[in-house]
Amino acid sequence: MKTSSWFILALGALFVFGELVLAISLFRLQVLNVADSRESQEIQTIRRVRVPGLRGRILDCKNRVLAECRPSYCISCNLEEFQRRGAPSNTVAAIDAAIENVATALDLKRQINIRQIERHLRTASAIPLIAWRDLDARTFARFCERLDEFPGFIDHVEAERTYPYGSLAAHVLGYTGRGNAGDPERDPVYFSEKDMMGRSGVESYYNRFLAGVTGERRIRVDARGFRPTKARQTMLEEAGDGGMAPADGLDLHLTLDIKIQADVERELHSVTGACVVLNPRNGAVLALASAPTFDPNSCVPYLSPEVYASLTNAPAKRGQNRAVNEGYAPGSTFKPITALAGLSTGWMPEDEYNCTGVYRLGDLRLHCWNRYGHSYVNIRQALEQSCNTFFCNLGTAIGSNAVIKAAQAFGLGSRTGIDLGGEYAGVVPDDEWKRRWYNEPWYPGDTCQMCIGQGMLLVTPLQMAVVAATLANGGDIYRPFLYDREHLSAPKPVRRIPFARDDIELVRRGMKDVVDLGTGRSIAIRTDPEVTPNGRHRRYKLNVDCGGKTGTAEIGRGETKRKNTWIIAFAPFDKPTVAIAMVVERGESGGKTVAPRVHNVLAGIFGENEISAVYATSSSLEGRD
Amino acid sequence: MLTDLLEKFKRMNWPLTAFMVALIVFGTTFIWSAGSARQGAFLQNIWYSYACTAVFGLFLYFVLATLDYRKLLDLFALPGYAIALFLLAIVLKVGTKTYGGQRWLWFFQPSELSKFAIILFIAHLVGPAGRESFKWFLVAGAAFAVPALLILKEPDLGTALVLAPAVLVMLLAARVWTKGLVVLLLAGILAAGLVLGTVYVAEQKTDPDRKAEIYRRLPLKDHQIKRLRVFLFPDQDVKGAGYNLRQALISIGSGSVRGKGLTKGELKALGYLPPAVSMNDFIFAVVAEESGFMGNLFLLSLFLGLLLSTLKIAFQATEDRGRLIALGVATLIFCHTYINIAMSIGLMPITGLPLPFISAGRTFLVVLMASLGVVQSVSVHREEEDAR
Repeated sequence: MKTSSWFILALGALFVFGELVLAISLFRLQVLNVADSRESQEIQTIRRVRVPGLRGRILDCKNRVLAECRPSYCISCNLEEFQRRGAPSNTVAAIDAAIENVATALDLKRQINIRQIERHLRTASAIPLIAWRDLDARTFARFCERLDEFPGFIDHVEAERTYPYGSLAAHVLGYTGRGNAGDPERDPVYFSEKDMMGRSGVESYYNRFLAGVTGERRIRVDARGFRPTKARQTMLEEAGDGGMAPADGLDLHLTLDIKIQADVERELHSVTGACVVLNPRNGAVLALASAPTFDPNSCVPYLSPEVYASLTNAPAKRGQNRAVNEGYAPGSTFKPITALAGLSTGWMPEDEYNCTGVYRLGDLRLHCWNRYGHSYVNIRQALEQSCNTFFCNLGTAIGSNAVIKAAQAFGLGSRTGIDLGGEYAGVVPDDEWKRRWYNEPWYPGDTCQMCIGQGMLLVTPLQMAVVAATLANGGDIYRPFLYDREHLSAPKPVRRIPFARDDIELVRRGMKDVVDLGTGRSIAIRTDPEVTPNGRHRRYKLNVDCGGKTGTAEIGRGETKRKNTWIIAFAPFDKPTVAIAMVVERGESGGKTVAPRVHNVLAGIFGENEISAVYATSSSLEGRD
Repeated sequence: MLTDLLEKFKRMNWPLTAFMVALIVFGTTFIWSAGSARQGAFLQNIWYSYACTAVFGLFLYFVLATLDYRKLLDLFALPGYAIALFLLAIVLKVGTKTYGGQRWLWFFQPSELSKFAIILFIAHLVGPAGRESFKWFLVAGAAFAVPALLILKEPDLGTALVLAPAVLVMLLAARVWTKGLVVLLLAGILAAGLVLGTVYVAEQKTDPDRKAEIYRRLPLKDHQIKRLRVFLFPDQDVKGAGYNLRQALISIGSGSVRGKGLTKGELKALGYLPPAVSMNDFIFAVVAEESGFMGNLFLLSLFLGLLLSTLKIAFQATEDRGRLIALGVATLIFCHTYINIAMSIGLMPITGLPLPFISAGRTFLVVLMASLGVVQSVSVHREEEDAR
């Protein structure tokens, strides 16, 4: 024999050694480093899909539903059933043809084009493509009946936002769009069925509250990124492991009273302007409106370019919330503030000034609205008659700083902190401000302009509503809010204005005179007068004392010269429960244009004898002031 | 006659048969599992035709086992070799092209058949006494080189790679020009190291022109360089050339100790492990994912049992040609097994080689069973100690 036994033994040893090497390597791979492989496998085969919770409702103070979710009937298509060999474009074409087929069979207008199909296939092939959304119930039923005829298509119901009151409170509610709430940078393996996202109003401000907690679904995908077809799926264990159920969003109970809101919007119909109604005892917003308005239902699920244009195009700017995001010159509604500034710096209530109809300051001549003059007026009468020259004189006497301080004490020039986005702070100009923006020093004329609420002064209707509320409750500033449960149960003012109670009371009296005798007589809430049997007194079905102030701010020059007309008011006078500020652009005067509208709103509130839930919860504070 | 046959069956190495059948059953099972993830009845039923082929192979196995291999060699070693050469030559002309190679002739691969023919022919050449000289080395070398070159032409580097060690072991066992062979072996190892080193150095170059220059001078094809690169740097190109290896590694690793269960291999089912290779060269990844480390140990021990049984036949053989055949076949199976599994787990560069008895290659299965049949014949036709 040529071959030695040793050679065969050595060969045997080599075989054993070889197999041992393999066994050891396998041990390392399958036992020691198994976690690495499992992780790699997970990364490539598992896709996490965000599952949004059901968005919460928005309710008013009497639990009337202002925004909720309704079913939206969709037809979607399982991409994996349309896979074609070769280039992805083959699959895209197959899907496109299938959708076209459904469109012809059901006589539907197509909602997605081939480019959207291609994009979905590229980015989210594991989740179904929604071919039609928001179909009417009839069409949807027809589709469901014929489901067998369309392999690869499935019926699917989605939640969609709806606003039962249409355009009512549109600016407060805002609207929702669809977006990716997740962070694609941080979490690249997330797929997202687009979440509902608040785009403006409280929908946006309280988005996280309303949206709830987004859950997670885990789906397995094959090497081409599709969900495995059913046959394959049965071979694998369910991929539901490790998912997370979403939590539904919470209901948002606003302080808004849709009844008051409806009254307000009725009054603002066909004009451009804004109105805010506050509860002066806690700052709760009872109504907040901006006109012209829009229907948030037209903004869901997606904002079309046409709707977007109608929301943003000047001059209407329907999407603009003029109550919060727009600055106006307050006009004479600023005079109570000037008056308080004067009273706190030594101007006595009985000090009089002779209004001749014009105020001269050097070369400057400022006319009172009453060309013939008001003759001798004290501060309370000046408020009642809204005498310009009196306040110009007063301002010049006490200096601009006192007026600026008073304005700032009322919160003008800074945000009120309402729970709406994009609030405008307004402008309370001073020397420094003027130098910075106009490169000019402060002239005494500027002081005069400011004292009567004109010139560079800019305030939002919301800020003026806060001024009205502060005067109404005797000097406490509350942060206006739409939702704040804690605050509602125990309201606490942000601060007190630094003026004596007597001075504030005097100004309040002046404002009562405005309504009873002065420029704002149309506000007065005395309706349905009937003569008593003895004929001596008139009795009113509704008789609520209130305080108010008119304002007519002239802006622009020449051709663009126009008047923005104002009212701030509060009622009832003794224990006010309502404070209101309303502005109407391009009006005639505060007393003529706005006062009747404010009257209607107040009459609506008190006439119906409706005491909203907001009042009820604050009734424990009756004895406070 | 019948008693003669019974006597022959008695003298068979039954453990070898048992290990072989166990491996075939194991293989059929996983071919079925791998096929279940595919679409179409043909691919899903490959396991069935594989099993039928195995039955035919078993018949061939027993026939060859009962025939006297010495007579077979005398009669058919040279003509069989010539036919193998002829088939290798014509497959280059008329063969079917698949996956970048021209290896198929109708329903079989001539290169697989040639493994059988070459081993038998070389055993026949160098087996008889007095053929240890350099001259016989040249003869045997030529007998190996001609078909090997034809195989490389297909190209089927893998087959050439497993044939070389088998022939080398046979020549060493036959003591043909031993010193020279050892030197050759060392030179071969050195050359392999050199090629690998060159690729490594080239990869360190940042200048693409220099890199291309170095690669141009290597006597390798592009896809071979790619495979060496993947072997050296498995993490570099996981979406391209390194994709198969990475997916195989994830499959094998995620199988863990107990595996995911038959047909439950996710990477296979979801198509991450390319379906084209999951039944063939990368079937080990499927086995490992579904049967886990325990299953792999079982598979390895089946192979080891088969190999050691074959070696035992070589040990017991009383004639040189028979012993050489047993050694050649054992080495061939070992190389196939080792290279295939090692490449699946990144221990060796990727080479297209089937895993014996497990991969769904029917020509190779028949060749393996025929080879083992001849080996069994060696066992049957040995002269007993006591008979001497």
